[in-house]
Amino acid sequence: MKTFVSALAGLLAVALFSGSAVAADLVLYTSQPNEDAQATVDGFMAANPGIKVDWVRDGTPQIIAKLQAEMQAGAPVADVLLIADTVTLERLKEAGKLMAYKSPEAANYDPALYDADGYYYSTKLITTGIVYNTAASMKPTSWQDLTKPEAKGLVAMPSPLASGAALIHAQTLAGVGSLGWDFYKNLAANGAIASGGNGAVLKAVASGEKAYGMIVDYMPIREKAKGAPLEFVFPTEGVSAVTEPVGILASAKHVDAAKKFVDYALSEKGQQGFLKLGYIPARNGMQLPAGFPARDSIKVLPLNAAEALKNTDQDLKTFSSYYGSK
Amino acid sequence: MYGYVRRGNSQPAWLFPFVVTIVMLLSVLPLARLAQAGIEALLRGGAYELISDPALWRAAWYTVETAVLGTVISVLLGCLFAFLLTLTDIPGSGPLGFLFVLPMMIPPQVTALAWVQMSGPSSPLLKALHIAPPLGSPQPLYSVGGIALLYGVQHAPLVYLALRAGLMALPRDGVEAARLSGASGFRVFRDIILPLSLPGVIAGAAIAFVSSIGNFGIPAILGIPASIFTLSTLIFTKFSSFGPRTFGDIAVLSAMIAVISVAGLAVQGKALKGRDYRVIGLSGASAAFALGRWRLAVMPLLWAILFIMLVAPFFALVAGALVPAYGVPLTFKTASLHAFTEILFRQAVTRVAFSNSLFLAGMTALGLLAVTVLAAYCLTRRKDMLSRIVGGLIEIPYSLPGIIVAVCFILVFAAPLPVLNITLYGTIWIILLAYFSAYFAVSLKPVMSAFLQLDPALEEAARLSGAGFFRRLADIIVPLIAPAAGASVILVFLIACNELTVSALLWSAGTQTLGVVIYNLDDGGSADLASAMSVIVIAMVVTMMLLLEILAKRLPKGVVPWRS
Repeated sequence: MKTFVSALAGLLAVALFSGSAVAADLVLYTSQPNEDAQATVDGFMAANPGIKVDWVRDGTPQIIAKLQAEMQAGAPVADVLLIADTVTLERLKEAGKLMAYKSPEAANYDPALYDADGYYYSTKLITTGIVYNTAASMKPTSWQDLTKPEAKGLVAMPSPLASGAALIHAQTLAGVGSLGWDFYKNLAANGAIASGGNGAVLKAVASGEKAYGMIVDYMPIREKAKGAPLEFVFPTEGVSAVTEPVGILASAKHVDAAKKFVDYALSEKGQQGFLKLGYIPARNGMQLPAGFPARDSIKVLPLNAAEALKNTDQDLKTFSSYYGSK
Repeated sequence: MYGYVRRGNSQPAWLFPFVVTIVMLLSVLPLARLAQAGIEALLRGGAYELISDPALWRAAWYTVETAVLGTVISVLLGCLFAFLLTLTDIPGSGPLGFLFVLPMMIPPQVTALAWVQMSGPSSPLLKALHIAPPLGSPQPLYSVGGIALLYGVQHAPLVYLALRAGLMALPRDGVEAARLSGASGFRVFRDIILPLSLPGVIAGAAIAFVSSIGNFGIPAILGIPASIFTLSTLIFTKFSSFGPRTFGDIAVLSAMIAVISVAGLAVQGKALKGRDYRVIGLSGASAAFALGRWRLAVMPLLWAILFIMLVAPFFALVAGALVPAYGVPLTFKTASLHAFTEILFRQAVTRVAFSNSLFLAGMTALGLLAVTVLAAYCLTRRKDMLSRIVGGLIEIPYSLPGIIVAVCFILVFAAPLPVLNITLYGTIWIILLAYFSAYFAVSLKPVMSAFLQLDPALEEAARLSGAGFFRRLADIIVPLIAPAAGASVILVFLIACNELTVSALLWSAGTQTLGVVIYNLDDGGSADLASAMSVIVIAMVVTMMLLLEILAKRLPKGVVPWRS
């Protein structure tokens, strides 16, 4: 009898002590991988002691879906977004969901990298190129190599339905004369699969389940440094790029803390943090992380953001028609 | 109101209405709201687009196909273990039984992760043993067969438990009479034991089928990479591409899962109808068969199955947590505890998840206990139609897939509460309410069985001496049912701690649960962290099960589900 009473008391104590979600001073929604998100938040909290940050990580489309569901329910939780692409933030801006804030740090950035009215700011450059398993027979150098017979059934790519960077990537390649949507069609005919986010591609290629993949640069470069059997290539046609912008929601409850977060992400210290994690910083005059070639050797393909925004639904449909569910 | 209270019934007038109110709130209101949303979506006509979508029918087909195959595997495994461990003199049946039910208590996405780590070209375990398949080999588990196989492993304990309960009640004298008349062991098994154990097998198969229909963790990890969607993962992906029609769409999809589940249960009812399985005589057919020489063949077989089901995936998971990066073979040189330190000391989200899951599980277990003691008291005392209906209503949310419960609570609480103007959606409280609804039946069962064994004379004596309801409750009832209450608390705690499906739709910033974080870590490419976290969760589950095992000696029979 006594055992049970004390067992119950013990459980109750655990339940009460563990507490429910403690109210945060800032809520961040981000598409960075967990370890990076934690490092970013740790850096921010070290620079701004006294601000407690709660963060949520998921793919960009999922984050936006969560936000929309919360808005529909009348209780948006997030204050700041740090997600894959400017197109998504442009859409939110046009829908009146973002708050303008002119960060003093913007002076150190190329004006092309932030919104002139201050609705969002690019924080880094994330390119999408080719990853291959070092045990693979062919060493791809161009996007077209992935449609060769040697790569039949061996290519994985992130789905634009699950990854913001993947959507921009598809839209960018579709706009290149020598590639276009035909390239994606040929890839599908060659047995390429598209599912999940960049993490899934990393797993498939590192594990050897697939030999080649389309992926954001930092993941394979970082994993290679840890000993994974991976190699990353910047293809000859060029790479697409997203800039992981940061922006404050119009519904933010912690506006001051949110502004501090934007300033931190753009500050030299914040950018150093991203550099250390293996990202190319967006700020002028910063170095490149280890494992990257010289910046001027990376050819970034252009993308018309306004066009991309207008065509997104159609592009998703085109993509799904090649890579629909089985 | 006064006529409500029956003569000779000692419960206070408010008790039954109180229980009915709780049941209305936790069962009737959410389900009614789901039905309403589904019908509205159908009437608006947007449903035509949904219903005519081939993806929906493919998902429905995969749901049924994987569930049927999985059920077959569960039945084969469950029957093998139940017959051998219950009817024969096999040594070590205690530990064998304990290990066999373990998969049931392990979160499905952890099971899936462990098996993925064990097989395919990715396996750090196979790489360490130098038997990994070559580059470009597909992961065999990312398929209909893989999903079905893991359903089979996950739900085999349910068949085992359902069948074992029946086998324990077999008449021993029938078997002995047949034996004395010279019937062979095989003959006895075929003519007496098999027909009599059929209801248990069918009941177990039905539970396994319904659980497979509603499973989310396994098809999420094994199906989504291969673009194989079941209805529950389809709901999840619809929710992750939220649009104006989403709430209506997921209501219709949920209704579809509910229909399949109910159809499964109806088939079970039909199969059992018209058969009379009442048996007379001494029960307790323990060790009716001596294995003799067969022991040498059967013992290694059972242990080998358990090794493949449990030990190998667990070691694969540990190996996956120890490698520094995906695709690196595990050796003494490469092994690192990085993933464990990251999980335990660096990641805020895992601490949040541990504290949320412990908080939710603790609150659910204790909060429900308070309700179930009152509910069990009044349901066992009033033996009328109305209380049977209430009892049935409590069972419904538990027998429905978790994803439906989550959808129901989103629909009820998405908008701010009237009058109070508070929004529960996006807070931890909506998850707690959904858990209350989903696990009411789990919490009630042990307490009910304790009440049924209770002699009412003691309480009557106290009442005659003038003790009020709460006095009797505190001094007589609660001490007498305390062991069952303890078991109920631990059982609910264990199940709620490892929950994924309900919270997968309901979590938000700061309210992530263990299940959600493991899924999200794996989804984001941090397989090592997901594995490390899974290893910790498995250790937690085994500890709690051992705790129940120690308590079991003092509990009424049948309270700890895997004990006889």
